[in-house]
Amino acid sequence: MKPPAFAYERPQSLHEALEILAREGAEARPLAGGQSLIPMLALRLARPTLLVDLGEIAGLDELSLDDGTLVAGAMVRQRRLERDPLVAHHLPLLAAATRLVGHPAIRNRGTLGGSLAHADPSAEYPAVALALEAELVIRGPGGERSVPAREFFLGPFTTALADGELLTAVRFPLPSAATGWGIAEVARRHGDFALAGAVTLVERAADGTCARAAIALFGVATRPVRATAAEQALVGQPLTAETFHEAAVRATEAIDEPLSDVHGSAVYRKQIVPVVVRRALEAAAQRVQAT
Amino acid sequence: MERVPITVTVNGRRISAVVEPRMTLADFLREELGLTGTKLGCEHGVCGSCTVLWDGAAVRSCLVLAAQADGATITTIEGLATDGTLHPVQEAFWEAHALQCGFCTPGMVLTAVALLAENPNPSEEEIREALSGNLCRCTGYQNIVRAVQLAARHERADT
Amino acid sequence: MSLQILPRGKWVGARVKRVEDPRFLTGEARYLADLQIPGTVHAAFVRSPYGHARIRRIDTSAARALPGVLAVFTAEDVATLPPLASGLPIEGLKPTPQTVLAKDKVRFVGEAVAVVVAENRYIAEDAAELVAVDYEPLPAVTDAERAMAPDAPLLHEDLGTNVVYQKVITLGDVDGAFAQADRIFRRRFHTNRFVAAPMETRGCLSVYERSSGHLTFYSSTQMPHMLRLFLSLFLGIPEHKVRVISPEVGGGFGQKMTIYPEEVVIAYLGKVLGRPVKWVEDRRENLAAATHAKEQIIELEAAVRNDGKVLGLKARLIGDGGAYSFNTASALIEPLAAAGIIPGVYDIQAYQHEVIAVCTNKAPVGAFRAVGWTAAQTARELFFDEIARELGLDPAEFRRRNVITSDQFPYTTITGMVYDSGSYQESLERALELVGYEELRRRQAELRQQGRYLGIGISLYVEPTAWGSEIALQAGFPFPSHDNATVTIDPTGKVRVAVSVHSHGQGHETTLAQVAAEILGVSIDDVIVEHGDTDRAPWGMGTYASRSAVIGGGMVALAAQEVREKVLRVASRLLEVAPEDLEIQEGNVFVRGAPDRSLSLFQVAFAAYLDGRVRAEGEEPLLSATKFYDPRATYSNGCIVTVCEVDGETGTVHLDKIVAVEDCGTMLNPMIVEGQVMGAIAQGIGGALFEAMVYDENGQLLTDTFVTYALPTATEVPELIIEHLETPSPVTIGGIKGIGEGGLLATPASVAGAVLDAIWPAGRAIEQLPLTPERVLRALGGELGV
Ligand SMILES: Cc1cc2nc3c(=O)[nH]c(=O)nc-3n(C[C@H](O)[C@H](O)[C@H](O)COP(=O)(O)OP(=O)(O)OC[C@H]3O[C@@H](n4cnc5c(N)ncnc54)[C@H](O)[C@@H]3O)c2cc1C
Repeated sequence: MKPPAFAYERPQSLHEALEILAREGAEARPLAGGQSLIPMLALRLARPTLLVDLGEIAGLDELSLDDGTLVAGAMVRQRRLERDPLVAHHLPLLAAATRLVGHPAIRNRGTLGGSLAHADPSAEYPAVALALEAELVIRGPGGERSVPAREFFLGPFTTALADGELLTAVRFPLPSAATGWGIAEVARRHGDFALAGAVTLVERAADGTCARAAIALFGVATRPVRATAAEQALVGQPLTAETFHEAAVRATEAIDEPLSDVHGSAVYRKQIVPVVVRRALEAAAQRVQAT
Repeated sequence: MERVPITVTVNGRRISAVVEPRMTLADFLREELGLTGTKLGCEHGVCGSCTVLWDGAAVRSCLVLAAQADGATITTIEGLATDGTLHPVQEAFWEAHALQCGFCTPGMVLTAVALLAENPNPSEEEIREALSGNLCRCTGYQNIVRAVQLAARHERADT
Repeated sequence: MSLQILPRGKWVGARVKRVEDPRFLTGEARYLADLQIPGTVHAAFVRSPYGHARIRRIDTSAARALPGVLAVFTAEDVATLPPLASGLPIEGLKPTPQTVLAKDKVRFVGEAVAVVVAENRYIAEDAAELVAVDYEPLPAVTDAERAMAPDAPLLHEDLGTNVVYQKVITLGDVDGAFAQADRIFRRRFHTNRFVAAPMETRGCLSVYERSSGHLTFYSSTQMPHMLRLFLSLFLGIPEHKVRVISPEVGGGFGQKMTIYPEEVVIAYLGKVLGRPVKWVEDRRENLAAATHAKEQIIELEAAVRNDGKVLGLKARLIGDGGAYSFNTASALIEPLAAAGIIPGVYDIQAYQHEVIAVCTNKAPVGAFRAVGWTAAQTARELFFDEIARELGLDPAEFRRRNVITSDQFPYTTITGMVYDSGSYQESLERALELVGYEELRRRQAELRQQGRYLGIGISLYVEPTAWGSEIALQAGFPFPSHDNATVTIDPTGKVRVAVSVHSHGQGHETTLAQVAAEILGVSIDDVIVEHGDTDRAPWGMGTYASRSAVIGGGMVALAAQEVREKVLRVASRLLEVAPEDLEIQEGNVFVRGAPDRSLSLFQVAFAAYLDGRVRAEGEEPLLSATKFYDPRATYSNGCIVTVCEVDGETGTVHLDKIVAVEDCGTMLNPMIVEGQVMGAIAQGIGGALFEAMVYDENGQLLTDTFVTYALPTATEVPELIIEHLETPSPVTIGGIKGIGEGGLLATPASVAGAVLDAIWPAGRAIEQLPLTPERVLRALGGELGV
């Protein structure tokens, strides 16, 4: 299981990287942490002619707070998101989601941007981005553009990134103080990709009812999806077990093309969606109560 | 394909080499440097046998290219014992019978070293979680967990 | 031959740290892939992407043209090599010869069709992709029962059937038992196809010296001598010019106790190319093409009295042997071994079994720890749990009413196994006590009230061990089986033990040194144990089937005893006392009762070799002995109890703990025994909950990576509590019994039993392992589990 032959470049600037990508065309592939790309090469499922290593591009691994938004560079390692005090304090959901990604050795190399660009339908980060309504910052030959998460994930391993474009950063709007979060998933083993998972945000109104809710599902459809019917079922309702139950049941409505593999059929995945949604909602409600 | 010049520090030794872009760090260590203590058990990032320390952090050497390691400091299992004295984690693995066929052992030991470096007093659950990316087919893991606990106790006692 | 030559003492029975560990801990240990011989070239196999297809044409020109490629071989180029086939002498067993590279037809995904040799593995893989094979896909059959149908696609057309063996045997008064029964129960189980998946894959390296015609073959094998014999026969090189070296082996568990087509091909390539040729299997190849294991369809029927006494059993066992009735021990390896052990620890007086072995378009089935027995144990124990509940009996009580009790030993089973000794009921009681059974049952009822599913699974087992000729026969595989040790004391008084059994994690360098040290009165620091090289030991079978402690321990004891006697004879001349009055301790020979009259072993050995005067008439200077041992059959036993909780909403299983009480007679080293038990339990957890080789109906393999084929990790294995009972075997040297397999024999039944217990009665619907969350949830009723 050895990778096929390819050329390798390690540009020092974004500009240089974009130039190389433009020159080489569709056969070039950005290389971030390599934790998805290199296994695909070893299995010869991918055959790029050139890898453009993003590892030394200045500025891509910055993490900062910008006016109510956490801005994370595409090359920020997952391990850092797990442990950085800034993330722990302002966006603990991101840290919690990270702990469900593979294993420490994977996270030591794997990057935020790599996971989002890879767009595995069972991955955690895409669902987090979708729930938080993150903006994905993209640079290409034509300059910079910003794509909302809901328009970024198009299908399994398919995103709005065009050939020659790079994801450079992600802007996560911070939830309000009255918002609680939850993430729940079912996986065969610890660290495995989820058979079904849900990321939830629940904002409490002054009267104790649900002011706003976001539910993003992963592992069940060809891309991360928002369970809008379930979200609507929550708004204006008290944060009770009954409400969550009713909303959770409606979450499956969001799944049009369910995933299926040796670890779990489409039927099974769909069946446990309400369970993970309810659990994630309960976790969110508990956190909102705690504040 | 054009070969790539790299300079890596491996087990304290600075090494300059020119590598084929597709060569993994694992193959570089094993085939070019003869450091065969790093094992290849799956070559797709699941088994953890090829774990090495990269600037102190555990990394799968089958999932990085040698070219990417330019400038990195790598520790392999061969670099752990000093002057013939086993590292406390190696000692603890021996003491606790944490190995049988030995194939996963280098990766397990280095994963444990990285864990203890950042968390000198891990709970059993934390240990199991940290090791969960490394497969062992012989031991059932229990003695490996015990070895890490033992090493943690010894290291604490020493400091 | 005295069985008492091996007493417990300073070394035997002690928790000695393993002497082999430092080289593994420091990365110095060299496995096959680590061997670097100058001039080596690397092989990669071209493998079938189809489950069943005719090979129309193979075009190797593009591959040959790639720079760095030395050769590409197909079946045509290796036509002189004879096909592999099982040599098991069993009447009615149809052979399915397998050419070492597929010829005319491929029969499973992963079957080797061609081999490429190149300067390195990267190029070899590039070239393998360039070999263009024109296939004509054929309909595949991947289900054993479907393969038995008259209209099923045929794997081996010349046989006219996919059924390579089928036979019914009736033992005792089965009709009578079924006529007398109060109740008759039936149950069907399909045990999963799972694999050894040693962390080190297969691999070999062939080094041929043209001038002498001598082949040195390195292989990650469990049985170097057997491999030497077969390579000699296949390649036509006399055996004395073949040397097989098995370096460090990263686990085998049975998968490496066979002769693989790849090994024959690589050995041959080394010979014809005149360069060292190395093949290191990758994980995808290992999962697709190394032997699979344990898949059977078992139908059981029981004649039972209302008080729980089982009067008789019927079993129909269909072994899904995969594409070839493989040379390990044929496609019978699973169902025939299973048939013998279906009665297990229970006193069953009437039994009928039908054993069927079938070929399907899947990888061939071979040995994997507790071959045959895992499936049989799983089916029978789960069945007995259900019968117990149907009768309103506690599963533990049901077992008590049927188990063979200690006053019944030696006990000859209805299938002809002679259980020499054991602690069947005792291990059950002790395991229940350790786990707190009564309390758990109370708690289970309580939690059920709250909608939670706690489960307890009991698996009470007997494990045939000491795989010598006798037990092989009792287990249904009539093939002689023995091994040997050479113990030598050199002139400096140090001890070298060369053995034909092989260690790939079992710790023989420690345990066998303990045996030699005990008998010779030296420290184990003064003993080294050598194995894995056909030049070290004259002949032998290797390590498999929990045989190496018993056989290895016994043969080392016999050889050491003979050497000890030689030492004493020499010392008796030096000290001028009778040998019977001498004692050896801590490397010194001394007169009993007069410890100041002593000589070091160094002095005695030195004299033996270099001072002709101390030698008696006819005595040779060499302090060495070679002894074979082919032990009587002995049976280990134990009980494994699992406690789990099932998440009723998702079907996921959380294991709380597993208690194992085992009895392997005299333990050479309890630490190593525990290691074997724990490791086998983890594999059993894999078999019960996670691992399965899955093929689609076209014969496509869906589980050829460690992502799709899921092994348990540290987070899936719960606390394991191991306790020992020690009932020494009355028939083996030192009272040793084997221990290697019980954990995997019994754990799937225990874990699956706990899950089914947790969700009873919903578990009735479950027929197939492993118990994935999906299967569990489906059994639970499949309602939206909100
Ligand atoms: C054993 C194992 C278990 C895992 N378990 C999980 C899990 O449970 N959950 C989970 O989410 N992930 C899991 N992963 C995947 C892991 O999180 C990867 O790190 C991640 O998917 C990809 O990130 P990376 O930085 O390694 O990207 P790479 O592998 O380098 O790249 C992935 C893809 O994205 C492209 N790409 C990367 N960066 C950019 C960019 N900035 N702009 C444009 N394109 C880019 C690459 O060209 C490539 O196509 C697992 C991986 C392994 C090996």
